[in-house]
Amino acid sequence: MSPSATIGTPGTRVGDSSGGAGTPGGARPAYVLGGNRVPFARAFTAYARSSNQDLLTAALDGLVARHGLQGERIGEVAAGAVLKHSRDFNLTREAVLGSALDPTTPAFDVQQACATSLETVVALSNKIRLGQLESAIAGGVDTTSDAPVAVDDRLRRTLVELQRARTPQARLRALARIRPAHLVPDAPSASEPRTGLSMGEHQALTTAQWGISRSAQDEVAVRSHQRLAAAWDAGFFDDLVTPYRGLTRDGNLRADTTLEKLAALKPVFGKDLPGEATMTAGNSTPLTDGASTVLLGSAAWAAEHGLTPWAAVVDAEVAAVDFVHGEDGLLMAPVFAVPRLLARNGLTLDDLDLVEVHEAFAATVVCTLTAWESDAFGRERLGLDGAFGSVKPERLNVHGSSLAAGHPFAATGGRIVATVAKELHLRRRALLADGDDRPVRALVSVCAAGGLGLAALLEAA
Amino acid sequence: MTDTYLHLVNHGATRTVAKKLGLPRPPVLRRYEPGAPLVAGPVLVAGRGPDADAVAQHLAGPPAEGGWDLAVHRHADDGVRYAAVVAVLTEVARPSDLADPALVVGGVLKGLLPGGRVVTLSRPALPDDGPALAAARQGVDGFLRSLAKELRGGATGNGVVVAAGVPVTAASVLATLRFFLSARSAYVDGQLLEVDADVPAGPVVADEARPLEGRVVVVTGAAQGIGRAIVETLVRDGARVVAVDVPAAGEKLARVANAVRGTALQLDVTAADAGTRILEHALARHGRLDVMVHNAGITRDKLLANMAPDRWSSVLAVNVEAQLRITEALLESGEFVDAPRLVALASTSGIAGNRGQTNYAASKAGVIGMVRATAPLLAPFGGTANAVAPGFIETEMTARIPPVTRQVARRLSTLQQGGLPVDVAEAVAFLASPAAGGIQGRTLRVCGQNLVGR
Amino acid sequence: MVGARAALVAPAREEHLPSVPALGTLYRAALTGAARRALGRGLPTRGRAATGSAPTLPEAALPAIALRVTDVRADARRLTDYQHLVGEPASDTLPPGYVHVLAFPVAMAVMARPDFPLPLLGLVHLANHVEQRRPLDVGDALDVRAWARDLRPHPKGTAVDLVAEVSVAGEVAWTGVSTYLARGGQGIDPSAGGHGRDPGPASVPHDQAPSPDSTGDPGTRTALWRLPADEGRRYAAVSGDANPIHLSRATARALGQPRAIAHGMDTAARALALVGRARGAAFTWGAAFGSPVRLPSTVAVAVRRSADGDGGAQGWVVDGRDARSGRHHVTVRIVPQA
Repeated sequence: MSPSATIGTPGTRVGDSSGGAGTPGGARPAYVLGGNRVPFARAFTAYARSSNQDLLTAALDGLVARHGLQGERIGEVAAGAVLKHSRDFNLTREAVLGSALDPTTPAFDVQQACATSLETVVALSNKIRLGQLESAIAGGVDTTSDAPVAVDDRLRRTLVELQRARTPQARLRALARIRPAHLVPDAPSASEPRTGLSMGEHQALTTAQWGISRSAQDEVAVRSHQRLAAAWDAGFFDDLVTPYRGLTRDGNLRADTTLEKLAALKPVFGKDLPGEATMTAGNSTPLTDGASTVLLGSAAWAAEHGLTPWAAVVDAEVAAVDFVHGEDGLLMAPVFAVPRLLARNGLTLDDLDLVEVHEAFAATVVCTLTAWESDAFGRERLGLDGAFGSVKPERLNVHGSSLAAGHPFAATGGRIVATVAKELHLRRRALLADGDDRPVRALVSVCAAGGLGLAALLEAA
Repeated sequence: MTDTYLHLVNHGATRTVAKKLGLPRPPVLRRYEPGAPLVAGPVLVAGRGPDADAVAQHLAGPPAEGGWDLAVHRHADDGVRYAAVVAVLTEVARPSDLADPALVVGGVLKGLLPGGRVVTLSRPALPDDGPALAAARQGVDGFLRSLAKELRGGATGNGVVVAAGVPVTAASVLATLRFFLSARSAYVDGQLLEVDADVPAGPVVADEARPLEGRVVVVTGAAQGIGRAIVETLVRDGARVVAVDVPAAGEKLARVANAVRGTALQLDVTAADAGTRILEHALARHGRLDVMVHNAGITRDKLLANMAPDRWSSVLAVNVEAQLRITEALLESGEFVDAPRLVALASTSGIAGNRGQTNYAASKAGVIGMVRATAPLLAPFGGTANAVAPGFIETEMTARIPPVTRQVARRLSTLQQGGLPVDVAEAVAFLASPAAGGIQGRTLRVCGQNLVGR
Repeated sequence: MVGARAALVAPAREEHLPSVPALGTLYRAALTGAARRALGRGLPTRGRAATGSAPTLPEAALPAIALRVTDVRADARRLTDYQHLVGEPASDTLPPGYVHVLAFPVAMAVMARPDFPLPLLGLVHLANHVEQRRPLDVGDALDVRAWARDLRPHPKGTAVDLVAEVSVAGEVAWTGVSTYLARGGQGIDPSAGGHGRDPGPASVPHDQAPSPDSTGDPGTRTALWRLPADEGRRYAAVSGDANPIHLSRATARALGQPRAIAHGMDTAARALALVGRARGAAFTWGAAFGSPVRLPSTVAVAVRRSADGDGGAQGWVVDGRDARSGRHHVTVRIVPQA
């Protein structure tokens, strides 16, 4: 399939009912052209000494190498990290400067918790669709191994005063205010600032609320590992991942995991809640280090660079839930974002060939699907006539997801988009070879801290 | 990977000590640098007859007419130190005809400049030659190989064997002569390379230093060592490169690709669809595919008596089966037709054999046979298939050899040192160049005239 | 509601203080007062609680005077520190708890008067009931009046209400009633103090204040407060309330607590902050305190909507309990006023 064939026909294929799902408002489509990430590593392992900037630069360099973008001025690069040093205020731009890209490539940082790199995909695609950009690179990175450690607020204030002090006496006065307790650093925590609950503790509440069983969660986890391992074995990630620091596969992947092995694990979240604690290290994502990038471009730019568009980024919807007042679970926002997104595009869950639901926890996925399958929830909370719908297991996270790959917060969206875009491309190519010209669509849904949820609709080019 | 001994005996105080002790002092080889002259002094063209005259004329001729503008002597002048001697022996009829040119060459050897060159031009001895003619022609072989072993100071001796019907001024003959004279052949020694056909040199390239301008090259095993050097050398010569290596080597591969503005393709060459994927990538990203360098290779050394099946088959699978499959895909595609070049990496092990390397030697000898049989398939498109057989090359692979064995291996050649990856790369680049189109199905050793083998 | 407000009429006699009294001075005065009282008479409630008879104490037992300080202004810097500690946005609007911080020293001054019948130190904060009629701003000149009312027997001793009223430009914007308990006897387990029925003084707004025992189902947990050992000192620093019972283990022991305990108003302020802007501009809120939060402590918090019939009108309930034992610490009920 040549790129030019793709350029000519988006209006007819990419949902021309509403003015073109790929081209709402008459905008031109923006395509995923490729991706690259480093293998994800469990925290404090292969990337224990690597900074966010190191990892993002490595991911960029791999993308550049794969697509021959050396010295190329990309329209814009957007990425971000959740755990970020203040010195990394211009993390993405610094990574660009350290990469093989043209140093005149502009960049900006984004942070939307675990949805960061999906948000960069959406934002940059929109710029391409508006004609502001011809090419772009979206991405994200996180390394818990290099997490910033903050000093105690009181110490920070004293240090600021110390810096301002003009006289030795003033300096001594400032120093004299430091107490041993001030020297204990504030460790970065994954707690929600407003509730003090960790993400796992929040999910444990939602898990209990929806009555999700341990076995349902373990099944999701096993499937994730098995599918990711199969994809690696098939060479699916050969053109999606570039090894880094000696790591050639995702460090968290356990190809040989089984329900029995998972069943032997002790619960780690929800132990102080009434009822059985069901969330274990096996059905929760571990702290992970990694970086991902996604190459985006217009059809013309892709053709100029000999790149085959994989999928159009058609539309996106963001939602948030009020978890502070206990209205909904912290990670349940995609439950609301997805129905709105699909409704706007005149689609239902059945119209999707692929559904990616980020596995923050196995329970997150099961809660999400359960809510969508609930008649009452559909009527009372989603404003529908009944249940929103269901997702067939064979369409869900077909190459595994975060439970197996790990979850370097800001990098996860980029991992999912590149993976699913390639899969869309392969499926459409196979269908076209059989003379079937039907659209092939994927949904990507990522829950995020702060009760956020971002969903994006992709369609094979 | 560095040869410390080589450095010590050639530099500073340790050099003096080594001299006094009479330690063997392997020379520092003259290597190619853009802009440097082809040879560092006058060139003596030995031999009588029209061929010798024609060669001399070309070497001395003005650049405007395609000449090389060298200071050419037709007679050995006393006191002159020559940078190179070209012995044109194509017209010898009997063994006794060798005497005159051989002794002329011998007369100037002591004054040969460091990094000097002796190159013979001769004809192959064929079954239907008369016995005397065949004896004379075959005699050149022994003469050259022995002469090369007598040279010092980084000088090398090599021969161009010009097939019947091919004039000595054929583009590929001159290109081979030039390669042997140049610093690009630093570690090629004691070799005779056949030129089989008189094919046009291809379109005149704008920049002579970039013979591969506009050509798209695929190099497998490109992440490190010899493959990486091949990528860098081909890019230096003007090529655009697709660098291929296994996904696990992706980080290094990306670095290589980014350093030369190529594209990285992570691929296991043993995959069934490797050829298709290589072709798709090259066509999509670069619009064409002109040169295929089969460099990826592995060793799994073990005495045959202890050889596990997977050690045998994995070596054969990577080193020769994958090459065959990829080549087949290229041939079938109809996209590998514009004076294509296929260069495969063989090994001196595949020629001379090596204890513990039955699997490896079988695969590498297989490569030699493969290119010989592939060349005729490419010839109709003006294409060639050839192999380069490295000897001991300083790479990460040979760095893993135990130190004493490694030291011995290094010194077991006329040049008394291991070669560098770039030496292999220069040979690959030469065979990949348009001017080498007359060399078809041959294997060129890059081994410093290793003491084992032919 | 109107009737309830009418019950909060201040004594006619009023004494103007030049400025808000420093709490440290008041505590010191209280210490000497306590010593004086210990030498003089016993606690007025002892024995009554034990017998169960609870005759109404005459209002006359309380000082029939209101203390007043005008032109009270919030300090922006201290306000910011307070907002950061309890989790309020650092806006120019005074958080509801912070108005209490400003008005509290005036109420304290009432309790520190020699004619106040109960010992200031050792008083347990049982409940708080506040009506906020309009938002107060950092720049507002506040007119603060405070008086004591309704001295009454309580199953565990004697209770009293301290009323603080904050006006701006002659209009009452904020009225707070804090109920304190003076324990009637020695050797009573202090941790049991909160388990009694909520006193819920009948005459204050929202006397349906949550009874800790009635909220058997605290609702789904929505937050955790990890309160460090020095939380009392931190809150003291931002509020100025350096009651020794909050400051350290040693000073808390002197006042009958095994460890320092968190300020009730600290936990109440955190609860208010959790509900945040959903409080609206005008609202009433009440806090009922159960067992003291012994520091350090992790408090499991549940925020939920309250409906009519759920112990109050439509609004919010924040319930704080020990994360491990489930012991009740605080319940805050917030009812937005349409």
